[in-house]
Amino acid sequence: MATEVERKTDIGPPHYEQFLHPLMKANYGNWKYHETLKPGVLAHTGEAGTLYTVRCASPRLASTNFIRQMTALADKYSDGYLRFTSRNNIEFLLADKENIDPLIDELNQMNIPVGGTNNAVSNVVHTQGWVHCHSSATDASGLVKAVMDELTDYFTSEKLPARVRVAVACCLNMCGAVHASDVAILGVHRTPPRIDNETLPNLCEIPTTVASCPNNAIKPTSIEGKTTVTVDEDKCMYCGNCYTVCPAMPLADPLNDGVSIWVGGKISNARSEPKFTKLAIPYLPNNPPRWPEAVSAVKNIIEVYAENAKPFERMGEWIERIGWPKFFDLTGIEFSKYHLDDFRYAGTTYRRSLHNRY
Amino acid sequence: MYEIVAESAGKKKLKAGDLTRAMTAKYGDSVSRKDCKAAIKQLIDSGRCVYGYYGGSSIELPRTEGAANE
Amino acid sequence: MADDLKIPLLEELEKGPWPSFVSDIKSVADKSEMARDLLRQLEKSYEDKRGYWKHGGLVGVLGYGGGVIGRYSALPEEFPGVSHFHTMRVNQPSGWVYTSKALNEIMDLWDEHGSGLTNMHGSTGDLVLLGTRTEELEPMFQALTQKGWDLGGSGSDMRTPSCCIGPARCEWACYDTLDLCYNLTQEYQDELHRPMFNYKFKFKLAGCPNDCVASQARSDMAIVGVWKDEIQIDKDAYAEYIKDGFNVKEYVVDMCPTGCITADENDIEIDDSNCVKCMHCIARMPKALAPGKERGAALCLGAKAPIVEGALIAQVIVPFMKLEPPYEELHDLIERIWEFWDEHGKARERIGEFIERVSLATFLEGIGLEPLPQMVKQPRDNPYVFYEEYYAEEDEGEDA
Repeated sequence: MATEVERKTDIGPPHYEQFLHPLMKANYGNWKYHETLKPGVLAHTGEAGTLYTVRCASPRLASTNFIRQMTALADKYSDGYLRFTSRNNIEFLLADKENIDPLIDELNQMNIPVGGTNNAVSNVVHTQGWVHCHSSATDASGLVKAVMDELTDYFTSEKLPARVRVAVACCLNMCGAVHASDVAILGVHRTPPRIDNETLPNLCEIPTTVASCPNNAIKPTSIEGKTTVTVDEDKCMYCGNCYTVCPAMPLADPLNDGVSIWVGGKISNARSEPKFTKLAIPYLPNNPPRWPEAVSAVKNIIEVYAENAKPFERMGEWIERIGWPKFFDLTGIEFSKYHLDDFRYAGTTYRRSLHNRY
Repeated sequence: MYEIVAESAGKKKLKAGDLTRAMTAKYGDSVSRKDCKAAIKQLIDSGRCVYGYYGGSSIELPRTEGAANE
Repeated sequence: MADDLKIPLLEELEKGPWPSFVSDIKSVADKSEMARDLLRQLEKSYEDKRGYWKHGGLVGVLGYGGGVIGRYSALPEEFPGVSHFHTMRVNQPSGWVYTSKALNEIMDLWDEHGSGLTNMHGSTGDLVLLGTRTEELEPMFQALTQKGWDLGGSGSDMRTPSCCIGPARCEWACYDTLDLCYNLTQEYQDELHRPMFNYKFKFKLAGCPNDCVASQARSDMAIVGVWKDEIQIDKDAYAEYIKDGFNVKEYVVDMCPTGCITADENDIEIDDSNCVKCMHCIARMPKALAPGKERGAALCLGAKAPIVEGALIAQVIVPFMKLEPPYEELHDLIERIWEFWDEHGKARERIGEFIERVSLATFLEGIGLEPLPQMVKQPRDNPYVFYEEYYAEEDEGEDA
């Protein structure tokens, strides 16, 4: 056994209580109601008083400098208390109402938008992309920056019918809530893995690699006496599962990788049940640094939704009310064979009624 | 337990569950799942085995830095 | 700014109103070779439209099988600063609450031992420290633990549980999400740090059915707060909404999914026996309506992204459980679920896929729960029933 002195393990995270604002402790479990004072500013009230929250954007990929700038603001305006939301927003927790506007002024001087509350486009949940990931089909941080530059106005206001949750994932692993977002951008590969027969026999376990394919497209084979694998290209759907277990089967293909656009998912149980996002646009090119095709597609969808949905109707609820044919009509998006599902639960998506609108 | 990991080196990546099942097969009910958990922890803490990861975690012999990537 | 930093494509992303990660990384590029070479390699990715990272490696801190994601540049000669670029996942506090002092301490340590870059936060919930060298992992880990922090999960282990802000700042929290999140994290430190499962297992804890942590989309076990009794109505506050001209018919009554609300200028009534706790009316009138008093949570299992067999949204497995310390009933159920999944699941099979494969009936039997109509949208509509009770010839005679 290791005998190092004082090496601590398994202590878990610090207890949250030491990081709670005194008003959070005083009103813990006894909050009465909350109000929105303006976009990005919430007021939560309990018997011990009112706590003001100022919510602002962050790039999520943040340097220690950026975090220190935020903690300096917290020291100045919120007694050193701040938190992060599940969508990568930063929230300053203020006891003093008078501090709200000076804090917002400073944030705005630093070009950090305040907003993301209620019927707004909140910050984007996204993945690592070319910044850190080995399996990404696109970048994430750059896409998010390019998209949000066009949608900042929807972050700092609450003028949409309901909240719009945007997510970006750079491959089908979807390390973000892409499959249940109002609008999602998903990196896609479009060509089968290229097999490195030199290194595969040493690097990969053949049975595990064969078993990794959801479509049974991978078979063992022998090349020059060494066991390796082949891929039935007709069966391959470019999911990248084999690459996850076997590094000698990379999928990255600069000529063909790109993004797809998905719509109408939702997580909350409000009104209708949680739902998956559905395919809107099967492929748009990777066009860094600003991905103009993806950005304008997302903007178009959100603007058509904003114009047509009823108050408090989420993207998916609006589409269900008007029907998918109308959605493709209004957005001008082309419907193609790629929109027809052909995987495990495909049949559940086929129309089996005559409830069509003409 | 170490022997089993050493034997399968280069053949199959073993998971914690595989080791527990192998131990039960060899020694019957006299070894509990808890014993196996403790034994794995000992193997890892002593540095005789390490955790690996390729789409799922496994218990393996230590290798040199980055060798898996070359 | 260093002279050799030529990143014209990335610099396009310094324009525009949204905070720029490029400007931010540049701000530490003078003191961090890692940050500088990260930008240079990323610029090459933008030119070539592909990533340049190699598959993870076998790195970590002594004794742990999770918490560190190994990463190496595929072009180490060109970009030596990111030849190693491992990630450390630091277990965040419940609800992502911090003080400046605590965050600054972590930032100081990270400037000393790593790239100076972070993700606040990763998708699972961890405070992600992005990019360091193998030899810095153990010193950084020890420095973190001295300050009271520990690593989170990765690989086939219990992943770092995360939760919404709950009772610390929300009147809708139906149980103490922060406390239970802390409790599960501490109770299962072994499962968090030493991968022993078929695949990952995520917990997310939401205080109400609004599910601000996306638990029903993203966690193997979603613990979602809910109440059983009547929605609390404050009639005076309701009168205020009406006085202010709030259109209760259009925005509340007509949007109730079960039509269980009747309301006019004078009064509001809710048929709670038909209410599905969707939260819509409460969210529209937070001063007048509040969740009931008999509070607890529903437990849902099996949410996941597409890999391998397709995406799933979590399914109800316990419609209501009271959740109060020491949470013995919950611990007991979690352990039964893990044991059955461990015994019968396949490698890389998430719990949701496992239930699909063995069937819900088999799964419930395996973990010792009785089937309930709340667990399904509807009973089966196919007649292929596996009957287990039937009479043999001789029994029939006796019964007749």
